Amino acid sequence: MSNKTDIVKAGEKNIEKTRTLETVLPPVDIYESDEEILLFADMPGVLKEDVKVNIDNGTLSLSGIRKLQPRGAARWEEFGDVEYRRNFSVPQTINVEKVYAELKDGVLKLHLPKSEAAKPRLIQINAA
Amino acid sequence: MFTRFNDINRLFNAMDFFRNRLDSLYSDADWAYTPGLRWSVEDRFPKTNLYEDGDLFEIRAELPGIAKEDLNVKIQGNYLEISGARKSATPEKYSIHRTERDITSFTRSFTLPADVDSEKVKATLENGILTLTLPKSEAAKPKQITIA
Repeated sequence: MSNKTDIVKAGEKNIEKTRTLETVLPPVDIYESDEEILLFADMPGVLKEDVKVNIDNGTLSLSGIRKLQPRGAARWEEFGDVEYRRNFSVPQTINVEKVYAELKDGVLKLHLPKSEAAKPRLIQINAA
Repeated sequence: MFTRFNDINRLFNAMDFFRNRLDSLYSDADWAYTPGLRWSVEDRFPKTNLYEDGDLFEIRAELPGIAKEDLNVKIQGNYLEISGARKSATPEKYSIHRTERDITSFTRSFTLPADVDSEKVKATLENGILTLTLPKSEAAKPKQITIA
């Protein structure tokens, strides 16, 4: 009998083990106006380079990695290195090209402008 | 037979991976939807870390979205108090869909393990993290003793 099959494919044998960061949901505020949807997310200690905002197929995913450089010996530690991660569904009416984000004081501010077609419009009535 | 054992181990590793992901999924869901959890005592205060490095202490506190004008730090001997308030960031003419970020004021005080020199304390607020560098007072500094 020579029909033995590998449980794992050969190509997957040498997977490097990565240290998994604890994932935390950042608290968010979401506001909407006629022009845009505005999202605030608390991500204290995350640097601009470590934030990823991705919109794909109607899903907005936020990810921010916090790397703290500890100093000396910790007497107590209530927070550590984490990954802030959260996903949202975004409506079709968002103009993905024009989305922009700011990071200030550990708060991510994400502007999601609505597309022209989705903005409310006042219709002029012409006198006949 | 035992050469295959490695493969089995890998298989279980993969299962562990999925289990971890599922676990975190459940905790994520709890976190966002359990009423009351966000109001637990622990969460009303900024989280802090205290490090000790030779002749200084370093305190770090998570304070996202707080301007440095809205923060107060008081030090007396080995007593430290951090207080502040987060102003409402609700922009005008916007309707609210979700507000999870609290608009609260807080005060947190600590008794440091040793007295600090309040004149030489340095404070920086960067990326929502307050870092206080607190040099120990002369009496509390570690001293090298030469043997006569």
